[in-house]
Amino acid sequence: MRAGDAVRPRGPAQRVLAANTWAVYVFLYAPILLLIVFSFNDNRIVGVWNTASLRWYREMLDNAAVLNALRNSLIVALASTAVSTVIGTAAALALERFRFPGRRVYDGLVYLPVIIPDVTMAVMMLLFFVEAFVIVQAVLGISPSLGIPTITLSHIAFNISFVAIVVRARLAGLDPALEEAAADLYASRWQAFRRVTLPLIMPGVLGGALLALTLSLDDVVVTSFVAGPGSTTLPVYVFGLVRRGVTPLINAVSTVMLVASMLLVLGSLLIQRRSPDRA
Amino acid sequence: MTTTPSPASTATKASEALAVSTAAVELAEVVKRFEDVTAVERLDLRVPDGEFFSLLGPSGCGKTTTLRMIAGLEIPTEGSVRIFGEEMGLRPPNRRPVNTVFQSYALFPHMTVEQNIAFGLQMRRTAADETRRRVAEVIELVRLGGMERRKPQQLSGGQQQRVALGRALVNQPKVLLLDEPLGALDLKLRQAMQLELKELQERVGVTFVYVTHDQEEALTMSDRIGVMDAGRLLQVGTPEEIYEHPRTRMVADFIGQTNFLAAVAQGQGEARLADGRTVNVPPGSTSGVAITLALRPEKLSVVPAGEPSPSGANQLVGVVERRVYLGSSLTYEVALEGVTLRVRQENTPSVAQCREGDRVGIRWDPASTTVLEE
Amino acid sequence: MASTVSTPPTGTPASGEAVDPALERAAERAAARRGALLALPGFVYLGLFFAVPLAIVFVYSFATRSSTGRTILGEWSLRSYGRLFDPLVGGIAWRSLWIAALATAICLLVGYPFAYFIATRSPRVRGLLLVGVMIPFWSNFLVRTYAWRLLLGSDGPLSQLTDLAGLGPSRLLFTPTAVLIGLVYGFLPFMVLPLYAAIERMDFGLVEAARDLYASGWKAFRHVTWPLSRPGVVAGSILVFIPSLGAYVTPEILGGSRTTMLGSFIVRQFLSARDWPFGSSLSFVVMAVMLLATMVYFRVGGKTL
Repeated sequence: MRAGDAVRPRGPAQRVLAANTWAVYVFLYAPILLLIVFSFNDNRIVGVWNTASLRWYREMLDNAAVLNALRNSLIVALASTAVSTVIGTAAALALERFRFPGRRVYDGLVYLPVIIPDVTMAVMMLLFFVEAFVIVQAVLGISPSLGIPTITLSHIAFNISFVAIVVRARLAGLDPALEEAAADLYASRWQAFRRVTLPLIMPGVLGGALLALTLSLDDVVVTSFVAGPGSTTLPVYVFGLVRRGVTPLINAVSTVMLVASMLLVLGSLLIQRRSPDRA
Repeated sequence: MTTTPSPASTATKASEALAVSTAAVELAEVVKRFEDVTAVERLDLRVPDGEFFSLLGPSGCGKTTTLRMIAGLEIPTEGSVRIFGEEMGLRPPNRRPVNTVFQSYALFPHMTVEQNIAFGLQMRRTAADETRRRVAEVIELVRLGGMERRKPQQLSGGQQQRVALGRALVNQPKVLLLDEPLGALDLKLRQAMQLELKELQERVGVTFVYVTHDQEEALTMSDRIGVMDAGRLLQVGTPEEIYEHPRTRMVADFIGQTNFLAAVAQGQGEARLADGRTVNVPPGSTSGVAITLALRPEKLSVVPAGEPSPSGANQLVGVVERRVYLGSSLTYEVALEGVTLRVRQENTPSVAQCREGDRVGIRWDPASTTVLEE
Repeated sequence: MASTVSTPPTGTPASGEAVDPALERAAERAAARRGALLALPGFVYLGLFFAVPLAIVFVYSFATRSSTGRTILGEWSLRSYGRLFDPLVGGIAWRSLWIAALATAICLLVGYPFAYFIATRSPRVRGLLLVGVMIPFWSNFLVRTYAWRLLLGSDGPLSQLTDLAGLGPSRLLFTPTAVLIGLVYGFLPFMVLPLYAAIERMDFGLVEAARDLYASGWKAFRHVTWPLSRPGVVAGSILVFIPSLGAYVTPEILGGSRTTMLGSFIVRQFLSARDWPFGSSLSFVVMAVMLLATMVYFRVGGKTL
């Protein structure tokens, strides 16, 4: 719907609206820009500008703890994104296209992890693994410990729901007649999914995967509850540093994380722009 | 029946030769219920091979559901669906010898025109060069040359419609199912496409089952029409039969315009109207039975009041209440005692026009009366 | 058309066919099986790694804690629920609610005109402005919060600015105000996006109709735009309120030890105070509150989260 002049206030009201908008953008970007600028500050004292240098980036690359945390983060994020994208997409298909017994309960089960606060989720996962380890030890005789697998399992648990919701929204906008047309044109169920449904919901699947990736790379609370020694992820590591105080090293690491997530978003926007049903 | 076997594929001819009585589509006692709503109620229908058959009815009458049951997109609650004598049962749509043109066209938005049309052939693992040849033929047939590489969104409504048609026809289905395929087009284009579709059907010789709510569309194209209402098939017949001899008030009212006069049969081809006057009707009704006379407006004519009626013709007197000018014709609404009759007259110099308020006679030939017993 | 039809349906009926009414049910069952099969992986996973953990938290909340901080299952009590009425807990809960409500209100106050402004631009400008909101939204939350620590720190740029202006160094960091700023900063996009969606979807012809019917610009807004965008207002408010109430990262980084909020308090029960039953009961109650808020949202007619 094109907005005509009737919906755009004139005079002072319009100026207030515009001023508010630009103020919000300043509010959104000023801290980010500041962080980036200060990451190039040579001075050890964060707030005092000295000269520009890449000193802290070099230091970051020499820091084994940072690199290890980064590696852990990437493993957890990629693994949990892959698994949750597959399970979440299947769940979305089931909920949007089929009727089966227990569908309502399933609907609730898929929505709940989105609503639950991270802190509760963290508590849940910690207590679950504590209890599960007791059982595993009693039954199998091995004593597992918290680490990358427990972090990954926990991340999948909250990511499935986000993927399912995003994919479901896309599916809801897809004319079911397209799938019927494929079946009418001799496509088996798998062929219809592979050739028609999947390509058309791909932007949703990619969007869901991106959200899962971002959430996984963002998570501090759940991870710090279920991480073991040596399995710290980058955000948890940075969080630990921040609690002890502000250092130029954090600025550099943060800038890298920030730029990485921005590149990810821009990439996904470009993909969406080239979505298959666009001419 | 006007079903002349068309110069179709040899397969069609062979099946005709094998089983003269085998219908292309045969529905027997088909019922479809959705939860507690009955969409289709005990439907029996036979569509012979090569026929252009239309299912006509208001929206929600069950015609689309019937079509979807033939396509395999719905499974009947009760009854059997046969295609060329073969019981379809639970057979999924991809294993039925029919193709569908969907109301929304359902063109795959991520494929080009060419890819859309080739889809069915690819699914059936047709050889690449044959696929190419047949796709090219069909593109020619539906006149989409030059559009091969376009995506559906880059086409006009009429072109999209032809892609949907081509995508179905390229598979040489035994039966083509069409669900209001012209509904989304504007009037001019729709009329052009009606003729085009009919011509195409005659050329390829495939049985068409065509669902529409547009009576003009059904009358123009069909060999036979089945009129549906509230899940029931009310009448099946040629366009002429349906129009000239509707069997129920619903059919008479839905197809064209009709005046209804309540009457009581008197025997010997006479009936008494509510106001006591007697008119001549086609014989056949038992004396004393309540009947309804259905009169098409174009079968009535307006004559000056008091002009003597020729023997055998019916004539009633009334007052012109409204005169509507329609260009090629005029419609008068004439008030009689208790009822208003609508009369249509050609706008030709030989026909005298009258004004609102005029006292006039309405005259008609008893043979053009349809008697409905209810 | 109230005609009753007595004429039987016509058409040539097929000879008596064996008709199996079980077919339709078989087809439905097959479809249900396929649906259930697709749902199965998620069902198993969320059952094991979500529903079971939730049940364990519930069970733990009734357990007792030994003097050494071990959790004793088997000695059930309502002790940890009783502690919820502790004035200390009450104070923290009250502060959390208050700060979360305030953050929501500020987001709405700033976000509504912002979303309105974007939604009434031309499509091209609209897309650009939206991307401007999306980028910080998708950027790492921890990092964005950390940036405010830099900005608000006692030797940070803001403090230097106020010092230069003769107001003395600002001491915002480690105050509730800092937490509030952090929450608004972190969750403003959650408010803007549903608001934008609601306003953009609106038929602006309705506003034109209102103006045509003698409404002033303000009246048209109050009687047409605002009521129509209310689903967005409710969705945005819930999306900001829920994570604000359970926030952990923001108060930890910007609030310091004096501004404990519920999230941090729960974490403390597990990582330092070692009172797991109490932590469990707290997290269970917080979850219940949020569930209630969400149900209210769906009751009001929201469809998307």
